[in-house]
Amino acid sequence: MSLIAAVSGIRDTGVYRRHPSPLAWLVLMPLLAWLFLFVIAPTVMLVVVSFAERDALGRIVYDFTFQNYIRAFDWLWLKVLFSSLWYALLTTLICLFVGYPVAYFIGRAPLQWRGLLLMLVMVPFWTSFLIRTYAWITILSKDGLLNSLLVSAGIFSHSAEILYTPFAIVLGLVYNFLPFMILPIYTSVEKLDNALIEAAYDLGAGPIRAFWQIIIPLTRPGIAAGAMLVFVPSIAMFAITTLMGGGTNPTIGEVIFKQFTSGRNQPFGAALGSILLLIFVLALWITRKYREED
Amino acid sequence: MNGVSHGVSNSPRLGGRLTAARVQACFFGIWTALVFAFLYIPILILVVFSFNSSRLNIRWEEFSIRWYGELLSNKVLIDAFQNSILVAIATTILATLLGTVGAWMLYRYKFPYQRALGLLIFIPMVMPEVLMGVSLLVLFVQFLHLPLGFLTLTIAHTTFCFPFVLVGVQARLQGLDPFLEEAAMDLGATPLQAFCKVIVPYLMPAIISGALMSFTLSLDEYIVSVFTSGAQSQTLPLKVYGMAKVGLNPQLNALSSIFILVTFLFAFGSYFFNRNKKP
Amino acid sequence: MKKTTTLLLSALTAFLVGCGKAPEAKKLSVFCWSEYIPQSVIDQFSKETGIQVSVENYASNEEMLAKLTAGGGQYDIIQPSEYVVEALIAQKLLHPIDKTKIPNLSNIAPQFLKMGFDPDNSFSVPFMAGTVGIVVNTDLIKDDIKSFADVFKPENKGKIVVLDDAREITAWALLSQGLPINDVSDANLEKVKPVLANWLPMVKVFDSDSPKTALLNGDVAIGVVWGGEGAILLQSDPKFRWIIPAEGTHLFIDSLAIPKTAKNVDNAEAFMNFILRTDISKQISDAFPYTNPNLAARKILTEEQIRNKASFPSDEEMAKMQVFRDIGTQGSKVDELVTSLKAQ
Repeated sequence: MSLIAAVSGIRDTGVYRRHPSPLAWLVLMPLLAWLFLFVIAPTVMLVVVSFAERDALGRIVYDFTFQNYIRAFDWLWLKVLFSSLWYALLTTLICLFVGYPVAYFIGRAPLQWRGLLLMLVMVPFWTSFLIRTYAWITILSKDGLLNSLLVSAGIFSHSAEILYTPFAIVLGLVYNFLPFMILPIYTSVEKLDNALIEAAYDLGAGPIRAFWQIIIPLTRPGIAAGAMLVFVPSIAMFAITTLMGGGTNPTIGEVIFKQFTSGRNQPFGAALGSILLLIFVLALWITRKYREED
Repeated sequence: MNGVSHGVSNSPRLGGRLTAARVQACFFGIWTALVFAFLYIPILILVVFSFNSSRLNIRWEEFSIRWYGELLSNKVLIDAFQNSILVAIATTILATLLGTVGAWMLYRYKFPYQRALGLLIFIPMVMPEVLMGVSLLVLFVQFLHLPLGFLTLTIAHTTFCFPFVLVGVQARLQGLDPFLEEAAMDLGATPLQAFCKVIVPYLMPAIISGALMSFTLSLDEYIVSVFTSGAQSQTLPLKVYGMAKVGLNPQLNALSSIFILVTFLFAFGSYFFNRNKKP
Repeated sequence: MKKTTTLLLSALTAFLVGCGKAPEAKKLSVFCWSEYIPQSVIDQFSKETGIQVSVENYASNEEMLAKLTAGGGQYDIIQPSEYVVEALIAQKLLHPIDKTKIPNLSNIAPQFLKMGFDPDNSFSVPFMAGTVGIVVNTDLIKDDIKSFADVFKPENKGKIVVLDDAREITAWALLSQGLPINDVSDANLEKVKPVLANWLPMVKVFDSDSPKTALLNGDVAIGVVWGGEGAILLQSDPKFRWIIPAEGTHLFIDSLAIPKTAKNVDNAEAFMNFILRTDISKQISDAFPYTNPNLAARKILTEEQIRNKASFPSDEEMAKMQVFRDIGTQGSKVDELVTSLKAQ
């Protein structure tokens, strides 16, 4: 593995990225077809529906209207959206902090151990989500294991309210998304060149400085990937929030879901979803543009 | 850990460096152990409760293996579990292929509307599952006239799984030596051979990570599955999610415990197998 | 050798063709709530009639509606709640049932027949009923709780679990103000807004799936929950008490109905008749402690089952109960009201 590449983190040199040959187009076809059929088409449907009305049963009536969007720009929904974004951000940061050392450890572990360790990270999530979450509820509830432990150890004088608090929500979210931070960071750590790290130490850098100023920047792609894979899905995630948080804090995912159930207002749900998509696409577009202008 | 030094030995900080590295390894090791404990605590609880004689999984009553027995005769649950595994495997294969090849093509070639494509890929990740589920349902039934079943379920799962693979592989590609492929081709390889024999091995950790993530996501998917599955392709989450009404059946705990045990055996088994197979 | 191969091939073809031309295997496609029809009942039906049953589940009425109206799945039997039956009938999405094929309908107690949402039972037969009431953990709360007002007292703040259903909660607020639960006009919603604004911040947990969890775990001390949940709590520990609110409550009825697009209507009607059979109905009650509308089945239930007040409210209590009607698009206004108050 070349040292130059590891250090320079080359993205794309103009020389390298060629114009696609017909064969290349052919190979890209499946991805394009998939994107077109199963991503673009549903998105278009979504946007179309968001401008529609609905009947008494909640079915879509194709009369053009702006009312869903007008309704969506109410402070109530925006507040819910920001709350969800905030939880997502918090989750991402905590996952990063907790998960990075794990990814680093696994990435630098002896070769035969790595696959095993990676699988061990994932295996807990091959159990059913509901029983896993109910297990947490058993642990965190007022009569639960954690409280019993803390009270008998004398740390608390009486049972604390751990479950059904924002703390529990974040705990649940971090728990479920941790592997999605660890795995991408691992792929960046794994290709770190030993010689480089040792060179860093040899040049007189203390362990902390070497880590902070050399290793972490080198694993930046992995960190960015992990952050995306945690932040993005966690915005619309609501099952965990509802179960661990007691449903007192509505999230945008829950609000949209309810439009398809008790709210019987699919077009409004579609409008909210479209706004979410738009915000996200814009944010990504802007950050990409900013990075390219670097 | 595996940092065997070479050559740079007479530095006065030699002793310091080795200790620093060891301290670092120790610190990260302990951190990792703690995180693993965090990850496995609910799993431990759930396995313990699979031996709980009480039907309502809230209080421990007494030890019993009745749920394991009942599970074996619960055809519905077992069928659903098999379906889940099948769909997850199919999804993993498809998503990994799509994601890996897609990431490579986008990296290697300059396609028009490159940035737009890059953005589109994130849409399945952002879009709330209910929206994706309903729109895919309408697409399948009213436009494509596909019967709901394994195919539609797999397509739906793959659609929101492949971005995870793609993003991971893209990240790994960012450190790729651009001349690696050229070197291979100079030695006579076709682009395809260069891809398979040089790039793919380099990408392997990202591919495996993406596959693991896809498998996990697909196994537990509920909302999208509700709208895109048929009667013969009912997966485990579909059968399980309403169970909370009468209390989650401890047979589920038994099922999960067995599955984890099998996975552990497999994982540790292959570790020991590979260990003896030293190159 | 060649002759054997041709012989085998033709036999295979004949077999395949024959299979294709075989009379349509007797099938039934059921779309129902999770954990509502015991698997043993389904298996018994298949065994007795030879009809292959495939079952798909949903966790809410609207989930079922969403899939049904988007055209997904050909279902023969669905299990809608009372207000959904009304909406489906109004939209002409149900297949009328032939009551001559369902003689067991006579097993049902008269108070559950000919109800407002389906005046002649032309489209649905009752499956199970239930109610919503108050459960109190008497170890933690010693006061006498009799009404919604008692539940939402300031000293109970942070100790309450309620259903996560905007319509339900609004209905209770309406009841507490003496208003009819189906009159969710904008005016009435304005009237109950302060009540809801007072109640909602006191709630610790909103849970429609398993409110009993919070009660059993000791995280909450009092709850307004489904009758089925109440029955399970009463069965599990004598410290729980079940109270029907003095202001009244509502009765819900889940029925079996046949969608217009059903393919196996005869099999569906046979299934309905089967469910209404005395012994089958008893099996369902044994598995799930809901309010069984089947009078003949009630006669063969155990003492313990009949005495469970959450499963079988008294006649006076039943007389005070109202039934949900379809409120159409007002549903989203109700939803928005509750969400806005929750998000404070």
